[in-house]
Amino acid sequence: MAELTLFHYIAKKTLIHGMDGRIKLICMILFTMAVGFSQKGLDLAVLTAVLLMVYMAAGLSIKRLMTEIRYFLVLIGIIVVAHSFTIPGTAIPGLPVQGMTWEGLRSGLLFGWRLMLMLIIGNIMTGTTSFSLFKNVVEWFLRPVPFIPAARVAMMFSLTLVLIPAIFDQASEMLDAQKARCIDGRKNPIARISFLAGPLLFHTFMRADEIVQAMESRCYSEVRTPTAFQTTPTDWLLLGFTVAACLMVLLI
Amino acid sequence: MAILEIRHLTHIFPNGTIALNDINLSVEAGEFVVIAGANGSGKTALLRHLNGLLRPTSGEVLLEGVPIAKDLTRARRKIGLIFQNSDNQIVGQTVSEDVAFGPENLNLSREEVDRLVKEILEAVGLSDLACRQPHTLSGGQKKRLAVAGVLAMRPQIIAFDEPFVALDYQGVLQVLSQIVDLHRKGHTILVVTHDLEKVLAHATRLIIMEKGRIVRDGDPARLIGDVETYGIKKPSGESVETMTWLS
Repeated sequence: MAELTLFHYIAKKTLIHGMDGRIKLICMILFTMAVGFSQKGLDLAVLTAVLLMVYMAAGLSIKRLMTEIRYFLVLIGIIVVAHSFTIPGTAIPGLPVQGMTWEGLRSGLLFGWRLMLMLIIGNIMTGTTSFSLFKNVVEWFLRPVPFIPAARVAMMFSLTLVLIPAIFDQASEMLDAQKARCIDGRKNPIARISFLAGPLLFHTFMRADEIVQAMESRCYSEVRTPTAFQTTPTDWLLLGFTVAACLMVLLI
Repeated sequence: MAILEIRHLTHIFPNGTIALNDINLSVEAGEFVVIAGANGSGKTALLRHLNGLLRPTSGEVLLEGVPIAKDLTRARRKIGLIFQNSDNQIVGQTVSEDVAFGPENLNLSREEVDRLVKEILEAVGLSDLACRQPHTLSGGQKKRLAVAGVLAMRPQIIAFDEPFVALDYQGVLQVLSQIVDLHRKGHTILVVTHDLEKVLAHATRLIIMEKGRIVRDGDPARLIGDVETYGIKKPSGESVETMTWLS
């Protein structure tokens, strides 16, 4: 899975990239709900067509989608098989294994289809929205929620995104240093993990402490300049299109 | 009046280690001070007292005559601290976002923040990298970004903690010319380092620390002959004017 880049941000100048992040998130939530509530194959077919259109408008590569989605096909295959054997109904004749039903197979395929569409929706959101914008959008939505410190949640979200690659880099460097001192000669996996985990944890805490001090030295405060969002008529049009598409699927 | 004054500053860590022992120091506006000393001599602890990251066990630090403990935000705005490891100082996901971090903490208006970010990135020569993720920058560029993040808060004093550590030759040149340029523009500069050969020619004052105390303080040309007594390598050459990597 190391080469999986499906959910990486791809910087481009498209209609979808330029959308107000808040409207984009609402659209994606609406599409996710529509996918979740769809019961018929026709509904899902309409949503697939609409989402692929949005996908192409976002300048994302369908070829890359097809290549990388294969990792999820195993999971979807397991779901289809599980549904086929557990949902009662008319047995499928002529199979070497008994117990599969038409109803189960249909339910499994619909479930798998929904999962694929949700992957596409997630890919559109992450592929066209930078982490920093996404963080600001989350903060904006959390602001009116009582008892939730939106600025702190957003900063923690941001720091996590900054720290995770740094921790992986550090772990890789420590592992190389240990390999250089023949750690491979030790057969006990628990001993090997403890040699890595202890120093890594210590280093991570030291680093977190240093980051906190650096933030304090730059006057960190939760009363910060708010992010300025700009909603254009195009954003409202795209929201209208999303609402119409979702209503059409769910009501007709 | 001195811009920065330290009176009888002592700091003892919880394990009993004496980091700073009765430090008295006065810095005038526009000075370029190099603080040198062996590892564990208290240099970094001293810098961290300047904007209240460490609180004194006894004594006080005054900025323009006012104890910094009375208004930490003012102290942190006026005294910019550049950490030894830039990776730990950078919190933004893009270069411009990191520069905006300080001004946003001061709750400036969005227009003011955007204007400052643009102006500072141009000043440090990082405008073309504004949308880059900081972890993709070189060591020298990261250090310049750390300086940009501090400059965005309009400090009067800029304190560098070991600014040349882990930088290649080009990185050292970039950072050193930036420090010299900031001094030329009127900032008071404090540089903690034991690499005297890279920077001493630009300093107006040399302070040597040992075991938490200031043991020598004065004109670099007068003190350079004594530095090896305190575990600091004396740069080759007799003249202090040659002790720079800038040509």
